[in-house]
Amino acid sequence: FTGNKRFGGLGSSPPTCRSKCEKCQPCKPVHVPIQPGMSIPLEYYPEAWRCKCGDKLFMP
Amino acid sequence: MLCRVVSPMINEGKALMEMKASFSNVANMLLDWDDVHNSDFCSWRGVLCDNLSLSVVSLNLSNLNLGGEISSALGDLRSLQSVDLQGNKLGGQIPDELGNCASLAYVDFSNNCLFGDIPFSISKLKQLEFLNLKNNQLTGPIPATLTQIPSLKTLDLATNQLTGEIPRLLYWNEVLQYLGLRGNMLTGTLSPDMCQLTGLWYFDVRGNNLTGTIPDNIGNCTSYEILDVSYNQITGVIPYNIGFLQVATLSLQGNRLTGRIPEVIGLMQALAVLDLSDNELVGPIPPILGNLSFTGKLYLHGNKLTGPIPPELGNMSRLSYLQLNDNELVGTIPPELGKLEQLFELNLANNHLVGPIPSNISSCAALNQFNVHGNLLNGSIPLGFRNLGSLTYLNLSSNSFKGKIPAELGHIINLDTLDLSGNSFSGPIPLTLGDLEHLLILNLSRNYLNGPLPAEFGNLRSIQIIDVSFNFLSGVIPTELGLLQNINSLLLNNNKIHGKIPDQLTNCFSLVNLNISFNNLSGTIPPMKNFSHFAPASFFGNPFLCGDWVGSICGPSLPK
Repeated sequence: FTGNKRFGGLGSSPPTCRSKCEKCQPCKPVHVPIQPGMSIPLEYYPEAWRCKCGDKLFMP
Repeated sequence: MLCRVVSPMINEGKALMEMKASFSNVANMLLDWDDVHNSDFCSWRGVLCDNLSLSVVSLNLSNLNLGGEISSALGDLRSLQSVDLQGNKLGGQIPDELGNCASLAYVDFSNNCLFGDIPFSISKLKQLEFLNLKNNQLTGPIPATLTQIPSLKTLDLATNQLTGEIPRLLYWNEVLQYLGLRGNMLTGTLSPDMCQLTGLWYFDVRGNNLTGTIPDNIGNCTSYEILDVSYNQITGVIPYNIGFLQVATLSLQGNRLTGRIPEVIGLMQALAVLDLSDNELVGPIPPILGNLSFTGKLYLHGNKLTGPIPPELGNMSRLSYLQLNDNELVGTIPPELGKLEQLFELNLANNHLVGPIPSNISSCAALNQFNVHGNLLNGSIPLGFRNLGSLTYLNLSSNSFKGKIPAELGHIINLDTLDLSGNSFSGPIPLTLGDLEHLLILNLSRNYLNGPLPAEFGNLRSIQIIDVSFNFLSGVIPTELGLLQNINSLLLNNNKIHGKIPDQLTNCFSLVNLNISFNNLSGTIPPMKNFSHFAPASFFGNPFLCGDWVGSICGPSLPK
């Protein structure tokens, strides 16, 4: 996804998800946990941004 | 006229039977793998053949509880495109012959007990896109020759015992999307070349023995969505260039990073998770972090951070986890944190915070865990806390809180831990605490509480630990405590409790840790059931209590 290019390229923003969910609307950015391996109790998973419409996820 | 030739299909049937022979625990799982009664191996469980050539293109034997080993006959399945053996109990080594399956695009041997080296022959698989060997016991190095696989998109070698360095050549791959190396014993440093992975979104080397610094050019890794270098021995500062990253997760915790938190991190609004905990970071928490209005998890605990908690953190409207504990933070708890409507866990323990808990905190309606243990906080418990209906963990211990324990705490019905110990709370223990039916741990020790132990404690049906030691409690031990069937520790010592030890206490079968010493108890110790296990130290300091120890009014030995 495209980053925020203020501050000479420093910084980032969440994806806009504009037309990223094929024809599905509305298409919103969400945090999605990525399970890295065997589940480790009491530990959080890393998260990535995905675009969500209904219960479908799309790459930003 | 018909000439029978040995077709490759028949060889493949033989190869599959050889594979079956080297598996164990096949009796139920591979019943139909039987070339005597059914020579059509394309119909066998987990086998998929090409419609025209009738050669095996896919083998899926995942999660069948298979033991034994992977036979080298696998290499005879020359048209194999996909092999999935994950989630079994396969031991032995990965056969070198795997490299003969030149069409393989997908290999998943994860969640087994495979040992030995990763065979170099894998690099012969020029079509390979997906290689998952995680959760095995593989040793030796990551073969540098893996870089010769031009289309490899996913490489997951996590949770093995791989040693040596991450081959630098591995980084010169434009198609690799996923690199999972967590939980090995890899050494060496993070190479500046890591940013040559221009198609990578997942970079995970958590839990290895990597040393050195974060490369200065880290900001060039602009395709990364997840950067996890946590739990290594990375030193040096967090480079300014980190601000060029587009990551959603930045996990640098559990290293030896020094210096300050760079202000540029406050511009990284794509961050969903920022974890800088358990390092050696110094200086203040940059107020600009309050800009991170999309961040859900902020972990800065276990550093040497100084200065106040910036009120700007109250602008992190999506925040659900805020852990600033175990630092050297000073000043007061900013009331602005009350704006965090999604806050689930707030941990400010073990800092040098002063002043009262702002009443605004009770606006954090989603709050589940609140911990301010080990600060210099004072004032009383805000009455608004009764509105925190989701609270399960409330720890105000080791501060200077005073006043009465509000009866309204008994309305926070989901509490499993209530720790108010080591403060200056006074007055009686509210009877309403007996309503906390989910409570597991109740610690009111080391305060100035007086009055009796409420009989209502007999309703704490889940309770495992009651500690009211070192107070000024009077009255008698309520017989209702005998109803507590899960209690493990009952610590009533150093109070002014009088009367007899109720026989009903012997009904608490799970009680292993009893201390009622240094009270004004009298009578005899119930001579039955579990009470015979408690040492004299449980009863000392009750001058009128009769027991079986030297110095007791009935001692030194009680006749049976």
